[in-house]
Amino acid sequence: MVQLAFNSFLTVLLLLPAAILLCRRSSRTRALPSLLFLLALLVGTFVAGMSFWRGDRLALDLSWLTLFPFAFAVDRLSAFFLLIICAVGAPVALFSIPYVERHYSGTKADWMWALLSLFLLSMSLVVTASTAFAFLFGWELMTLFSAGLIVIDGDSERRRHNIFIYLVMMHAGAAAVFASFLLFLPHAPGLDFVSIRAAAATMPAGLRTAVFLLFFVGFGTKAGIVPFHLWLPKAHPIAPSPVSALMSAVMLKTAIYGFVRFAFDFFGGGPAWWGYLIMLAGAVTGVLGILYALTEHDLKRLLAYSSVENIGIIYLGLGAALVFMANNSPAWAMVALVAALLHALNHSLFKSLLFLGAGAVSDATHTLDIELLGGLLKRMRVTGTVFLIGCCSIIGLPLFNGFVGEWLMFRSFIAGSELPGIASAAILPLMAGVLALIGAIAAACFAKLYGVAFLGRPRSIAAEHATEVATAMQAAMAVLAAACVTIGLMPGIVLSPLTAMAQELLHSSGLPEAEIPIAHTLPFIAACIAVLVIAVTGFRRIKRITPTWACGLPTLSSRMQYSSAAFSKPLRKVFARAYKPDRTVEVLYANEPYFPQSIVYRSVRTTSFEKSLYRPAVDAIVGMAARLRRLQTGNVQVYLLYIFLALIALLVFMRFV
Amino acid sequence: MNLALDVIQALLLVAIAPLVRGVVARVKARIQNRRGASVWRPYADLLKLFRKQDLVPETASGLFRLAPVILFAVTVTAAAFIPVLHPSALFGAGGDFILLVYLLAIGRFFLMLGAMDGGSSFGGMGASREALVSALAEAPLLLALVSVAILAHTVTMSGIVLSTVRQNPLHLSAVYGFALGAMILVAIAETGRIPVDNPATHLELTMIHEAMVLEYSGPSLALIEWANAVKLALIMAMLVGVFAPWGMATSTSIAALVLAPLAFVFKLAVLAVAIAVIESSMAKLRMYLVPDFLGMASALAILAVAFTALMR
Repeated sequence: MVQLAFNSFLTVLLLLPAAILLCRRSSRTRALPSLLFLLALLVGTFVAGMSFWRGDRLALDLSWLTLFPFAFAVDRLSAFFLLIICAVGAPVALFSIPYVERHYSGTKADWMWALLSLFLLSMSLVVTASTAFAFLFGWELMTLFSAGLIVIDGDSERRRHNIFIYLVMMHAGAAAVFASFLLFLPHAPGLDFVSIRAAAATMPAGLRTAVFLLFFVGFGTKAGIVPFHLWLPKAHPIAPSPVSALMSAVMLKTAIYGFVRFAFDFFGGGPAWWGYLIMLAGAVTGVLGILYALTEHDLKRLLAYSSVENIGIIYLGLGAALVFMANNSPAWAMVALVAALLHALNHSLFKSLLFLGAGAVSDATHTLDIELLGGLLKRMRVTGTVFLIGCCSIIGLPLFNGFVGEWLMFRSFIAGSELPGIASAAILPLMAGVLALIGAIAAACFAKLYGVAFLGRPRSIAAEHATEVATAMQAAMAVLAAACVTIGLMPGIVLSPLTAMAQELLHSSGLPEAEIPIAHTLPFIAACIAVLVIAVTGFRRIKRITPTWACGLPTLSSRMQYSSAAFSKPLRKVFARAYKPDRTVEVLYANEPYFPQSIVYRSVRTTSFEKSLYRPAVDAIVGMAARLRRLQTGNVQVYLLYIFLALIALLVFMRFV
Repeated sequence: MNLALDVIQALLLVAIAPLVRGVVARVKARIQNRRGASVWRPYADLLKLFRKQDLVPETASGLFRLAPVILFAVTVTAAAFIPVLHPSALFGAGGDFILLVYLLAIGRFFLMLGAMDGGSSFGGMGASREALVSALAEAPLLLALVSVAILAHTVTMSGIVLSTVRQNPLHLSAVYGFALGAMILVAIAETGRIPVDNPATHLELTMIHEAMVLEYSGPSLALIEWANAVKLALIMAMLVGVFAPWGMATSTSIAALVLAPLAFVFKLAVLAVAIAVIESSMAKLRMYLVPDFLGMASALAILAVAFTALMR
C-alpha cells in the first residue's frame, strides 16, 4: 500500500508536464494539474511519514530502464528527508496556486508548474536513490530545474550573471561529489549503496580521507558553507518566491542528506579531526552568515544569508556527532546528530514560511526593500502574525521549534566536557558560546527585520496601501506556522522517530538521560506563560489612542523612524573586521568650502571572498585557458601532427603497461 | 512541602523585586548625601501606574500592548527556575539554564519589537542598542553557566546550586572565580545598570532601556518596570544561588526554614549595596566602550570553560 503510494507519487510528478500539456486547451481543466501536484505531494508526505514514523522500508528498481543500475530505496534517513521535501512542498504548492495565477499566464504558467513538479521529483530522487547513478542523476537535474525556474522570471544581463555563477559553482560541487563516488570504484564491485558501504569499511585510510574531503567540498558547495556560499545570496533572491522557499528550505537539505549518508552511513564516522573540521566550518559559516544577514535590507537576501547561518548550525551539530563517534561516545553522538537533523527539519519549516511571507509582502507592496516597508502588521494581520511566528522560530526562542534543536545541541556540547583529552573537553563546550553568539545576533537581525518591515509607520505609499494576500497563500503560511509551534511545544513527536533513526545509523542503543526532560518541561512552561498572560491582560482594560510623542514637534514623519541601516549600525561597527566595508564619500562644493551642494555617501560591503579567493582563482583559470589556446593554430597540418603524436604516445603506453 | 516552598520562593522573588530597586535607590541617595525616597516607593509607583489609562500610539499594532504582557509573563516564569530558599525550584529540575537564558530572550525580543512599534526614533534607537548589548552578553552568560554546569555535572539550576551547597566554601574551584567575574559583568549589562546603561537617564545620547519604553504608559509601563525589577532580582538570586548558596534550607527543619529567608535577604541586601556603590562611584561608559566591557566578560567566561578542561 505504502509502496504503491510511493510509486504513484513519483509517477505523478514525472507525468505532470504531460498532464499540463493535455489540460492547457480548456480553461475548465487548467487548474487540474496544480491540484494534482498538491495531491501528489500530500501522498508523498503520507509515504514519507509512514516510513519515518513506522520504519517501513520501500524499494523500487528501475535498472531495466537504463544502462546503469538505477534503483531507489527508502530507509528512515531517506524517509526523513523525503518528509522535509513533501511536507514543505505541499504548502508551497498551495501558495503557488494564487501566486502563479497572479504573476504568470499562458506558457509561462505551464512552464512554472512543470518545472516545479520536476524540481521536486529530482530532489525526491536524490534522497531516495540507492545507487550512485540515480543519486547523481537527481543531483544534476535538481540544479538544472532550479536554474530553469529562476529563468522564468526573465533573463536580464544581471540575472544571467547570477544564474551563471550558480550553475558554475553547482557543477564544481557536483564534480567533487562525482569524484567521491568514483573513488569507491576500485574497492567496490558496483556503485550501489550496499557495496559502497561494504567498500568504505575496507578502504585504506588515505583514500577515506580523500573521499571525505571531496564530499565535504561537494556537499558543502550545495549547502552553502563559507567560503562556498557565494551563489546563495545571488541565486535565491532572484527566484520566484515559492521557488526561493523550496531552494532555501529544501534543496540545501539534500546536501545535508548527502553528507549524513556519506559520513555516518557509509563511513560510520572517522578520525576526530573530521569532526573538528566540520565544526570549524559550521562555526565560521554560522557567525559570518548571520553577520552578513544583519546588514541586508533586501528581505530575500537577508533570508538567504540566514540560510547560510542555519546551515552553519547544522554543521556544528554534525561535527560534534563525528567528534563523539571518534571518541567512542555513541550515545552523545546520537544526541548531536538528532539535534542537527531536527534543526534541518525546523529550518525547512520556518525558512519556507519566511520566504513565502516575503513573497506575500512583495505581492502586497511590490518591493522587497525593507526600508520602504513598515506598519504591515496592521494591514496584513495574518501574514504579519505568521511571519512573527517564523521569526520567533528562527532565532530559537523557547516554545517554538528552533529552540528544541539548539537545546539538544547545547546539551551535547556541554557533554563534550567529559571526553578524554584537554582539546576536545575544551573545544566542544566553547562551541556552546559560538552557538549562543549566533543565536543572539540572529535575534538582533530578525528584530530589525520584523520591526522595520512590519511595525511602526509605513515608509512608503505602497506599504501604506498594502492589503492582505489571497486566502490560499495565508492558509499555506498558517500550516507551516502551526507546524513550527507544534514541534516547539511537543518535540517528542519528531524526537522519538529521529532517535530511532540515529540508532539505526550509528548502530547504538540507549540514549543518555539528557534528551528526555525538555520534551516534558516545555508544555508546562507554555501553560505557565499562557496563564500569566491571561491573568495580566485582565489588569488593563482602558486604552486611549494618542499620537506618538514627537518632542513637541507638530508631526512625525516616517523618515524620523529608525531605519534598517541605522538599527544594525552599532553591531556593524563592532564587527567591522568581518565586513570590510568600502566607504566612499563624495562631497560636491559649489563655491564656498563650508557649504557643500551635495554629499553622496556610499558604503558597500565587499564580499572579501569574492575579492581574495574567487577572483584570483578565476583569473588563473582564464589565464591558463589563454595559454592553452596557442595549441589551436588553425593549421590542419599541425592538427595532423597532434593526432600522430597522440597515436605514438598511446602505442608507447600500451607497450609498457 | 517542597512544592509549597517552590511556589513561595518564586512568589517571594516576584514580590520583593521592587523593594530591591527601592533599596538600591535609597543607598545611592545616601551615598550622594541626599535623603532619598522611601524604599517602598517602587510599589507606590507601580500602584499609581496600574490605576492609569493605557496610552497607545496611533501607528501601533496589537503587538504594542502584547509585548509588556509577554515580557512580564516570561520573566515571572523564569523566576520559577531559580532556587532561592532551598536548592530546588518549580522548574528547577526539568528546566535548565539554557531554557532560562532563552526565556529571558523572549521577553527582550518582544520588548524590542514593542519599542519599534511606537513609530518614533527613540524606540528604534533603544531597540538597536539593546540588540547590541544583548548580542554580546548572551554568549558570556551562557559560557559562564556552562563552566559551572560542567563542574556540577548537570545542567539544571537546582543541580548546579545543590552542587555548590555541598562544597566547602574554602575549597571552591578557581573556575568559579572566572565564572563569577564574567557573570557579574553580564548581570550589569543585562539589567541595564551603570556603567552600561543608566536607569535614571532621559538623555537621547545615553539611554538604552529608557528609550525603548518611552512610548509606554500606565499599566503597560507598570508591567515592564515590574518585569525589569524581577529580572534584576532573579539575576541577583542566580548569582547568590550559583556562587554563595550557603544558608539555604537543605532540610525541612524549622530552624533551616527560618534561617533560609533571612540568609537570602541578607545576601540580596549586600548585592544591592554593592550595586549602589558601583553606580555612585563610576561614570556610564560610552556606547562603543560597552563591547569592550562585554569582551572582558567573554574572555573571563572562555577562561572559565578552558579551566574546567585543564583542571580536571
